[in-house]
Amino acid sequence: MSFFSRSPWILHYDGSSCNGCDIEVLACLTPLYDVERFGVLNTGNPKHADILLVTGSVNEKNIEIIENLYRQMPDPKVVVAVGACACSGGIFARAYNIQGGIDKVVPVDVYVPGCAARPESIIDGVVQGIAALEQKRKKTA
Amino acid sequence: MDSASFLARVGDYHKAGWRLALINVTTVIAAPAPPHGAAAEPAAPATDAPTADAAPASQAASVFEIAWAFAKDREFETIREQITVGDAVPSISEFFGAAFLYENEIRELFGINVTGIGLDLQGQLYKTVTKVPFSHQAIKARLAATAAAAAAASAASAAAAEKKA
Amino acid sequence: MKRTVVPFGPQHPVLPEPLVLDLILEDEKVLDAIPTIGYIHRGLEMMVERVEYTEMGFVVERICGICSFMHGMGYCVSLETIMNIEIPERAAWLRLIWAEISRIQSHLLWLGLGADAFGFENLFMHCWRMREQILDIFEKTTGGRIIHSVNRIGGVKRDMSDTELAAILVQLQDLGKQFKKTANVFGTDPSIAHRLGGVGVLSMEDARAVDCVGPMARASGIATDTRLIGANYYDRIELEPVVETAGDCLARVVVRMREIDQSIDIIRQAIDKMPKGEGMPLETKPRGNPMGEVFTRLEQPRGEVLYYVKANGTKNLERFRARTPTFANIPAMIKLVKGCELADVPNIILTIDPCISCTER
Repeated sequence: MSFFSRSPWILHYDGSSCNGCDIEVLACLTPLYDVERFGVLNTGNPKHADILLVTGSVNEKNIEIIENLYRQMPDPKVVVAVGACACSGGIFARAYNIQGGIDKVVPVDVYVPGCAARPESIIDGVVQGIAALEQKRKKTA
Repeated sequence: MDSASFLARVGDYHKAGWRLALINVTTVIAAPAPPHGAAAEPAAPATDAPTADAAPASQAASVFEIAWAFAKDREFETIREQITVGDAVPSISEFFGAAFLYENEIRELFGINVTGIGLDLQGQLYKTVTKVPFSHQAIKARLAATAAAAAAASAASAAAAEKKA
Repeated sequence: MKRTVVPFGPQHPVLPEPLVLDLILEDEKVLDAIPTIGYIHRGLEMMVERVEYTEMGFVVERICGICSFMHGMGYCVSLETIMNIEIPERAAWLRLIWAEISRIQSHLLWLGLGADAFGFENLFMHCWRMREQILDIFEKTTGGRIIHSVNRIGGVKRDMSDTELAAILVQLQDLGKQFKKTANVFGTDPSIAHRLGGVGVLSMEDARAVDCVGPMARASGIATDTRLIGANYYDRIELEPVVETAGDCLARVVVRMREIDQSIDIIRQAIDKMPKGEGMPLETKPRGNPMGEVFTRLEQPRGEVLYYVKANGTKNLERFRARTPTFANIPAMIKLVKGCELADVPNIILTIDPCISCTER
């Protein structure tokens, strides 16, 4: 369990998602899945966060919010895109107000597939995010 | 549309205790976009029938259908109006305070000039990438793009089939 | 006194979804609130141009991940009305049962979020633990936890066997018993009464003036419930709208708690009344393309939802419009936020049970 040496704090932001992935992210916090046992904590403050968890795709209005949140997070930081919409735009990719996946705005380290992504795969994505975080930390150290 | 009589009808619904359920707009695209060449076909006697790509003619037929829907217990009624692009539509905020969201929305998404909105959000409600995404031009442009993409795809698959053969 | 503008959202610990209110404050009092939405606006209604009517149901389901079943159902009911399709009896009952299960799911989800908003983390965990049991039922019967895709134009895709239905009923009634304990905490805990009682009061006149729907209106004493129009087999069920008169945040909590019991009872009646047996027809296949228009009303967990569908005889619909309950409740929310204390704003916003992705589509 060496790469759990740091317990990552997560900032969740809902892009233009249908809510499905968001509530699955929240479901990860609750007794059945309980990510807090790994030391993973959901925080509301970007300046406390190590991992940015984004659900939903990018549209005209939230593009600057996502950029802003990413900028406010301290280095090293990791972005996890949760769900089909965050990965590529998903079922809404052809709607007029959708610009595509999160990687249009910020660099994405882990892509979690699914519509809606299941809690198990979200937790898996976060664990892979921890590994990416560890690598980045070694690089900067 | 006749604003005075329209507002009087809305006022009657308000007095009778109806609830505003929906304001819906439909962009009327009279005929499905015809393929190339077919556009020049003379469009029968009806003077306002649109000919797909002749700009002035399609301007004349740029019609929106608006429906104001009211609900009361189990009943449900609508007021329907047809307007053309550029016509002013009076706000019904004075009767139904909740109308402001619908009215800001139809102004922003359909480009309809709604006058006197209770809480005017100045076009900041959605801020879409495509401005006025449900205007006649925007819809026609999207339909044409979809048709072109479909045509390209079928041409490509036909070419692939030929290669195979 | 100097006025301050506090932007609330789009990223806020209380809201899982982005909603922006510019709160204009004088000291701690909120004088005005200007809403800005559009952070989730996808332009879903325009998808009818690109997606055929048979497939549009899957897009409509993704208006919102919480009431996805009801959205799919509303779309299919609209198309069935336009195309004059009579769906098989068992399919209609199954839809009703799933719809009520999703109501329980949504209310448990909301009670948890509400508890989290006023800082009662333990209660949040309890509500969501119970909600997982509902999601298990969904997963067993439809294959999906959140997005079910079980509605088809003309019926439903899957059946539930009679033994399965009986087991579900036992499970739900057991859940109802467990929930009594939690409901007791909501009802008797002094800190909750202090935090929610008398806060954000919406009088019956005001509720009528801002045209609000669903639990919001029922907590202010208006006995409105779209299920009472009797469509979709609700006319074969005995049901009394759950009404509270206080109109404050606590009343809105109580309405939703009582509706959980009501939904369990509706499911019991439905299982009792539906035709029994295996291999019954579940689908009447639609033929040709739809032509015509319809307004459809359903009662979602958050209130009345309204769909307008206009079809012109081609594969693609001419217009699809969904007016979701939160869209109708936002004026009420703005009204409540005006004049309250800044610290109560998150609670008031949550008690309307906002679903922003529904609102913006």
